[in-house]
Amino acid sequence: MRILRSEHTAGWLFVIPAVVLIVVFALLPIVWALLLSFQSSDFVTPAKWVGLANYQALRHDPDFRAAVVRTVEYTAIFVPLVVFGGLGVAVLLNAKVRFMGFYRTAFFVPVACSTVATAIIFNWLLDPTFGLVNWVLGWFSLGPYGFFQDPNQALYSVIAMTAWGWIGFNAIVYLAALQSIPQELLEAAEIDGAGRFLTFWRIVWPLLGPATLLVVVWSSINALQVFDEIYVSTRGGPLQATTVVVYYLYEQAFRFFAAGYGAAIAYVLFAAILTLTLLQMWIGRRRVHYTS
Amino acid sequence: MKLPSPRHLLLLPLSLVMLTPLLWMVMTSIQTPNESQQFPPVLPSGIHWQNYTNALHAVPFGRFFLNSVIVTAACVLGNLVLCSLAGYAFARFRFFGRDLTFVVILATLMVPFQVVMIPTFLIMKDLGLIDSLGALILPNLVTPFGIFLMRQFFRTLPAELEEAARIDGCSRLGTLVQIVLPLSGPALATLAVITFLYSWNDFLWPLVAIQSEHHMTLQLGLSTFQGAHATDWTLLMAGNVMAVMPMLLLFLLAQRQFVRSIAAAGVKG
Amino acid sequence: MKRSALVLLVVSLVVVSALTASSVGARRSAAPVQVVLWHGFTAYEAKAINSAVAEYDKSQSRVHVTAQFYGNADYALQKVLTAIAGGTYPDIAYLYGSWAANIAKSPKTLDLTKLVQDPSFRYDDIWPAARAVGNVDGKIVGVPALIDNLALVYNKKLFRRAGIPFPTAKWTWSDFESAAKKLTIPSKKQFGWAYVNDASEDTVWRYWALLWQAGGNILTPDGKRAAFDSPAGLKALTLLQQMAVKDRSVYLDSGNDQYAPLFNSGHIAMLYTGPWDLGSFPNVDYGVQILPGDLNHQTISGPDNWVLFNNGAQRSAAAWDFMKWFLSTKQHMALALATGQLPIRRSELKLPQYKQYVKKYKGIGTFVANLGNAKKSRPTIEKYPRISDVVGQAVQAVLLGKAQPQQALDNAAQQVDAILRTP
Repeated sequence: MRILRSEHTAGWLFVIPAVVLIVVFALLPIVWALLLSFQSSDFVTPAKWVGLANYQALRHDPDFRAAVVRTVEYTAIFVPLVVFGGLGVAVLLNAKVRFMGFYRTAFFVPVACSTVATAIIFNWLLDPTFGLVNWVLGWFSLGPYGFFQDPNQALYSVIAMTAWGWIGFNAIVYLAALQSIPQELLEAAEIDGAGRFLTFWRIVWPLLGPATLLVVVWSSINALQVFDEIYVSTRGGPLQATTVVVYYLYEQAFRFFAAGYGAAIAYVLFAAILTLTLLQMWIGRRRVHYTS
Repeated sequence: MKLPSPRHLLLLPLSLVMLTPLLWMVMTSIQTPNESQQFPPVLPSGIHWQNYTNALHAVPFGRFFLNSVIVTAACVLGNLVLCSLAGYAFARFRFFGRDLTFVVILATLMVPFQVVMIPTFLIMKDLGLIDSLGALILPNLVTPFGIFLMRQFFRTLPAELEEAARIDGCSRLGTLVQIVLPLSGPALATLAVITFLYSWNDFLWPLVAIQSEHHMTLQLGLSTFQGAHATDWTLLMAGNVMAVMPMLLLFLLAQRQFVRSIAAAGVKG
Repeated sequence: MKRSALVLLVVSLVVVSALTASSVGARRSAAPVQVVLWHGFTAYEAKAINSAVAEYDKSQSRVHVTAQFYGNADYALQKVLTAIAGGTYPDIAYLYGSWAANIAKSPKTLDLTKLVQDPSFRYDDIWPAARAVGNVDGKIVGVPALIDNLALVYNKKLFRRAGIPFPTAKWTWSDFESAAKKLTIPSKKQFGWAYVNDASEDTVWRYWALLWQAGGNILTPDGKRAAFDSPAGLKALTLLQQMAVKDRSVYLDSGNDQYAPLFNSGHIAMLYTGPWDLGSFPNVDYGVQILPGDLNHQTISGPDNWVLFNNGAQRSAAAWDFMKWFLSTKQHMALALATGQLPIRRSELKLPQYKQYVKKYKGIGTFVANLGNAKKSRPTIEKYPRISDVVGQAVQAVLLGKAQPQQALDNAAQQVDAILRTP
């Protein structure tokens, strides 16, 4: 094979197929949506150009602000929960123990189940009167709780339902990362007399840096955009307790036919996610150690 | 060594909890429609296998299944190839605009799909792909998450092996294919599983992109059982169980890849 | 030999060309116009629609209709809007009535106002409530696809066990309330009534029925301000508060998936629901009665529309031709008989199949009679979804015990007025 002289050429040749596909099918639509955010459109009649009017309206929209607060709260609880939960599960699953294939597949089941099926199940599990959870809690004289029906508990119930699937997802990523840690390093630590905890803290955890960055960034991006699970369970309620930003967007665009406004919301969210991700990547660059 | 690992104490109950949705789905899928309309749920009196055959006949299940398999297989293959290429370049090469391109790729994930649904549809229509499987495959042939995953993974590999290969005259592509990929079993398995998952469970895009029943995917077909007014739980759950099985089987096979790779220096795969 | 072969050849050529000419001529004038219809029906309803379409296609060769299942009707609007934006949209689509005002604004939506006046269509034969939902400001954009109404469905066994006489057509709100209280047995996890409490239109339309029964209205006659914050509205909302919060006789469903299996398992005694649910109660000996009333026994109807789209004059004409046939008395009665849907025309009640229909679907007769009680309908205006959202939040807040009726109504009315004021 010809050895490519320029690293620039090589780099671009390797990424061009991916870049072309992503530009055409992801970037172009996003730019279109940006243009939509400067218009007043209901998807039905021809749109009108309104400049920054949508964004200005957003600044004074108390419902939007409330949605933002809820989304931040959701993300702040969800991300640590699924990152550390995923790590814990991966550690548990990282051994040559009997039935490990069964255990690993069991943790994958919630990941594989469709959102609709999961929501149906959780609706029953957490039903205030007939649900299994309240029944079990009743044995310990706890509850009954409203869960999805209680405005104060609904958001946390949704977090529980979504985390159910995501922990398994993160666990898979972490498991792959754990499996890539060179055996010699662990053996050397053992020879040196390091205990399990020290080995983990000093050797494994730093080596999981790249995986942790991936998992944190990915979980954050998804948490900030959560929609499907809320749509099939609480529909943004009760009393808007679970109306997060994307749900609010959906209502504006598809229930109230204010598509331009919905696009503006999407772009504000985009700016927030981008900022957060860049911050995470920057921290990652300084704190994450890659072997090279 | 003879004693079972204490992990079982934690794993067994946790696994059973995690399996609850599947157990509930299976139980509902073998009930009679009467039994399924009860709450609290009753144990099925017998195994009503007819629900499975009924589900298979109620809609062109075989056709939907085939469509989903074609689309998903294409997306998995596409991702394995393209994400490895791009991820490797982002991980190892220094080239003009590398970091900016990576951020832009990642940024495309940050706009919710509901907003880009219509422009994506318009683009597909201009390409003449609406109502074809191509419309489902092309946008997902490579995913930003896949690129991110491979990039992170490649960066954890010690570079000495690759450097040695380059010095020996191996091309960059050759290094990737012959040295790096054989060590990337877990990452590739993870990518395959996750791509499979997203493609298999995708609902909203196929809903708008596919117009004729002939090209519908499995998830669209399953929504058939959930009418606006009457949900046939037994058929829906039978359908769901059949839809989930391929993924679980694939995972069961793939997770065997999660074995320690031999990454010691000097040992070539 | 050669000459006869030649003659044979010429003769056969002439014959063949004569045949071909006539058939080509016939084909050219008989190429059927393709009409595409989108619907969200499943199971037996889908079967009924498909066989109706097949029958139409067989009965003539000018038009060929293809019925396509588009998935759950909840997503229909997104799908249709996307399709219109993309330029490949159907000729006919089943759309919820609540979307009529918005879909009416699309330049692709066919204006049916002149078409429905065709005497052979007999538009006046259709129930008024069904007609109203396709009428946006005088412009007809949809013909009724499905009509229903809310009636009282009750579990006879639970009534007998509690020693309460079955609901009558004269029941008042206080009869209803006290029955619900008696039928609520916490130790058995039994509720007297159930209410869909997800703050969606499902929550709101039941409240509208109560509002109308108390003599109230949704908006002022000029449609410019809210009228539900009246003494009638307060009475209706207070009834809900009394039953849900004080008596605790109501099972609050956070969606609309749970009350049906619970009713079927004997955990709920009474429902306000429509004919579509009857198939979900195989284990219950149920009875159907008109809604209990205050000043009257009015009910609410939730019709859906067949909306026609413009794909060119030829296809539009063909689509309308199919619609006329599909909604004709005989055809629709056959559809109703196969699906349990309510008749949309009064003339269907005079057909012999109607007796079969009433026998086949237990309790359906009451629903049909109840159509006469659907005197008022929801405003078919663009802003209705926002109004519904506001009122839904208010009703949900009261049902959850988080707000007082008067305050919730005042709040909601203020918001609705603001919504109606913006252009």
